[in-house]
Order: sequence, then C-alpha cells, then structure tokens
Amino acid sequence: MIEPVRVAPRAAVALVTGASRGLGRTLAGFLAGQGYAIIATARGEADLSSVAREIQARGGTCEAIAGDVSDEAHRARLLEAARRLGGLHLLINNASDLGPTPLPSLSALPPDALRKVMEVNLVAPLSLLQETLPLLEASGGTVVNISSDAAVGGYPGWGAYGASKAALDLLSKTLAEELRGRRVAVVSVDPGDMRTKMHQDAYPGQDISDRPLPDVTLPFFAWLFAQDAMRATGRRFQAQSSVWEVAA
Amino acid sequence: MKREALAFERPQELYASRPPEMRGEGRDDVRLLVSLPGGQTHARFLDLPKFLEPGDLLVVNESATLPAALEASGRLGPFLLDLCTRFHDGLWLAEPRWDTARQGPLPLREGETVRVGETRVRFLAPFPGIPRLWFVSSDRPLSAEVAARGRAIRYGYVTEPFPMDVYQTLFSQVPGSAEMPSAARPITNRVREALERRGVRFASVMLHTGVSSLEIEASEVGAQALYPEPFAVPQATARLVAETREAGGGAIAVGTTVVRALESAWTGAGLRAAGGFTRVFVHPGTGVHAVDGLLTGLHDPVTSHLAMLCALAGRELVFDAYREAIEKRYLWHEFGDSHLILPHGARPAEAS
Repeated sequence: MIEPVRVAPRAAVALVTGASRGLGRTLAGFLAGQGYAIIATARGEADLSSVAREIQARGGTCEAIAGDVSDEAHRARLLEAARRLGGLHLLINNASDLGPTPLPSLSALPPDALRKVMEVNLVAPLSLLQETLPLLEASGGTVVNISSDAAVGGYPGWGAYGASKAALDLLSKTLAEELRGRRVAVVSVDPGDMRTKMHQDAYPGQDISDRPLPDVTLPFFAWLFAQDAMRATGRRFQAQSSVWEVAA
Repeated sequence: MKREALAFERPQELYASRPPEMRGEGRDDVRLLVSLPGGQTHARFLDLPKFLEPGDLLVVNESATLPAALEASGRLGPFLLDLCTRFHDGLWLAEPRWDTARQGPLPLREGETVRVGETRVRFLAPFPGIPRLWFVSSDRPLSAEVAARGRAIRYGYVTEPFPMDVYQTLFSQVPGSAEMPSAARPITNRVREALERRGVRFASVMLHTGVSSLEIEASEVGAQALYPEPFAVPQATARLVAETREAGGGAIAVGTTVVRALESAWTGAGLRAAGGFTRVFVHPGTGVHAVDGLLTGLHDPVTSHLAMLCALAGRELVFDAYREAIEKRYLWHEFGDSHLILPHGARPAEAS
C-alpha cells in the first residue's frame, strides 16, 4: 500500500530568482539539500555569493549569477547556466520590486515607478518562462510564481506591487491552461507575511519581529514539490493556510 | 487560552506500559470514563453501546501504523530517528532522539548526514517553530528502511518493544501513521458487533499521525506551531456525517485525528470531501464544528490534544473528568483507558 516512490531526480536543476535574501535564499538552501543543482540569481552580488558558498559548504551545487532579471542579457546568462547543468526542472520567480519606499499612495505614484515594478514582477517572470520553456518542456518542469496577499488586498500603499502580483496571478493561471498539454505546470504561491528585508522596507522603522521567518513556508513547499505537478497546475496556494490540497 | 490553563499533575504510575491484552483479558478490557454535561460516569469499554443511540455515527481513522523508528548513526554516535511525516519517499519530517526515553533536540547541524541502514540521510532544516523536528532527505527511499528494519515508535514508559500488530486497530487499512491512532484500539470485533446491533453506524477518514502530541510552548495556546499531517475525508463520509446530524444523531470522532481531519473538511456551513495536508489546530479559540462527541484516550498536560478536548467540551468538563480519572487511577497513553466525551449529552446514561 506504499505509494509510488518520488525522489527528486538526480541532477534536477532549479533556478531561483531573488535568491540572495529572504524567501529565495531559504528555498535555494532547502532545494539544494534535496539534491537540486541551484542556479541562484539576485542583484546583490555579495549576498548572492554567500548563498552559493553556504550551499557548496554542505556538499550542494550552486551557481550564483548576479544581475537584474529584467535585463535580457542577464537572463541569457541564466539560460546558459541551465543548459550547462543539464536542463531546468523548477523555475521559481521570486525576485520582486516593491517600488518606492515608504510606499506611496497610488495618487502620488510616479508612472515610471509603476513601469519598473511591472518590468521586474510581471514582464521578467514571463520572459524567463518563455526563454526557458524548451528546457521546462523537456523535463516536465514546474514554474512557481511567488505572489502576495497584496494581489487581492487593496492595501493602501501596496497598489503598484499588488497590481503586479494580481497580474502575475492571472498570467500563472492562463499559462497553466496554455501549457497543460505540454506538461509544464505553473502555480502561484502567496507565501504570507514574513520577516524579510522587503517587508521591513514596506514598514520602515516599524517592529516586524512578530512576523515569522521565511522558513515558515518550508512545510508548504515540501508538500508542493511532492505533489504530481499536473494536479497542482493553475492553482493559487497560500503557504500559511490551514489546508493544502490539489485536485483529486 | 493560556498555556497554564492546560496544566495538571498526574502520578507517573498511571502511565500504561503494556497493552491491556497482556495486562488483563483483552484489548477491550479497559475502563471507560464518560463525560456528560451533568458530570462523569465510570464504566467498562464493553458498555460503550449503552452510551450511544441508534443512528449515531462513529467516525474512525483508517490509517495504519508504520514501524517508523529507525536506528541512525553518525557524528553524534548512535541515536533514534523517528519518522514523523512523509512528504515523498526522499523527504520526511523526522524526530531525532537519543533513545526511546531521552528526547532531543540533538546538536545536529544543517546539512549533516547520517547512516540509516543502507541509506544516507541528510538533515536539511529544523521544522519552523518545532526545533526537535527536522526535514530529512535521503539518497534511497526511506520506506525501504522502514520495511527492512523499522520498529514501532515508543517512549520511556513503554519499557519493552512489542510487535507491530499490537499497534494496529480493527480499522487500520492504509499504512502511514508514525504513531498508532490509538482511540480505536479497544474496539474489538465483539464491541463493533454490539455497536452495530445498537444501530450505531461507522464511517472512516484517513489521517496519518505524526509523532506524539506536542507540548505547547507558546504562552498563548493558539500561537503554537503544529506540523501538517496528510488526511483525506471521502465524499461518502462527509455525506454520512451530514445525514446523521440532520436526523438528530451524533457524529462521534474516534480519536483526535478524526476531529482534525473532519475540522479540516469543514467549510463553515457543512462538510465537504477533502484531502491533502492539514495544519488545522483545534483549540478553544477555533471551536469544534464537525463533530458532536469524541472517543479518545487520556492525554498529557499542556498538549495540543488537550486543547482540542477543551474546544469540544469546555475546560471545566475536561478538567473535572481528569480529576476523577486521576483519583480513580485510570491509565494514560496508547495502551491505557478510554474516555468518551459527549458534551451535548442527549444520550441517556445508563451506567452499569
């Protein structure tokens, strides 16, 4: 009665954006421990190399490539790394731009700030998916787009970020349908409030120590990556909700 | 609810260390404490049908117990690795312990590897908020080690190992629990037949239990982190619970695992079919919606299970029951006595 074995395939490759801090860093380390070769990217070179060193010190594989995901030349380097490592099984679009801080109300938001947020949070994840699609299709891979409760919240100050995540949610849902026949799964995950630099930037000077650290999401991701991805595709999950389900 | 509200003192000689079939006549030869709104009644487990009504529904857990305790060795020397929850066969949540009597946390490092039989196991990260539990990955399926050399998880008060069939119930169907869902343990064939003659029906859910009920550390009970457990509530069971309650009968959970599973399938208006992993923590702040009563064992102080009992029946009734249980020397834990909680009463108590 034991269910079929599902162990992370050897040399499975995961690309994690925004991997230098917070949720991205936590996920990169957790996946590396399970045998994934990690391609880690973020803008901050120093933090990013420390992530790679940490993973390598534990016997894992991590290639750190610093840069901006909204830069096409940088994404080409990421794709090249995936090819070098033998493919891509998991793409985690986690890198996000909060926009100007302290968070301005929409009535005072400079249009260029909105464009920048959309570039990083919406256009770049889709571009990465388009560019890596042949590799994802070859592996039956999964794309995880990191969303936010701001996508549905209407929270004052979170308009630009929230709109970009709401749009990303719709991209995820649409892509899931478009790619279902090609066996590529796309899910959207709202990780919930966490004690991260981004969250602190959103609330400058405030005490956010009551928020949990990003490792609060590990049980959810452990569950998610153990599911048949094609049963999860198209779903939007909340990592801190009380029940996690896929289609029967 | 504050953590302190779940504290009580109980002498250690009330821990059942051996199964009742080795202490007395059989599995059903245990006592039954019945908590009704008016107070406590003392009976034998064979009297269970008398406290239920025709049309009542007993919901059981069909999860079977795994031999989930494995011997591990590494930098820290030999220790026990009790598997708690399977995510997939190369990724489990597990509790490293020095031995059955001495719990951790062990001074393990993230990334450290140890040997379990033929398998190399890596400690990935501690579970958030529960540092004695670790995510572990393995280079071979751990189920192979479980099958080859696993033993039942036990703790210090159970001083000798018992074979696995001691840890299964009449309803055990789907292997996956780290510890026995023990509430159904005293339900023998003759008890089941007597219940069926009484007009009591059965339905099942599945919830694979993890390692033992958590001692709450957070000062506010509802803030305690719990680990998730795999569960499934079939459509047929959701429907039977609804039909039973519509007809005026009671849906009685056999075990706290069943309460967790059913509450996880509660929509706010009724039960639905559900399945996945649940993090639901039933405590007085959440209340209980999907069940009317509970057949269970006796639980440790300051645990999440005890918080669930208080959610179902109110702290006063539960603590009154526990005072009497201690005074009348009921036995605790998986081989101990039983406790039927019917907080809405309605069942005529003809105690023997």
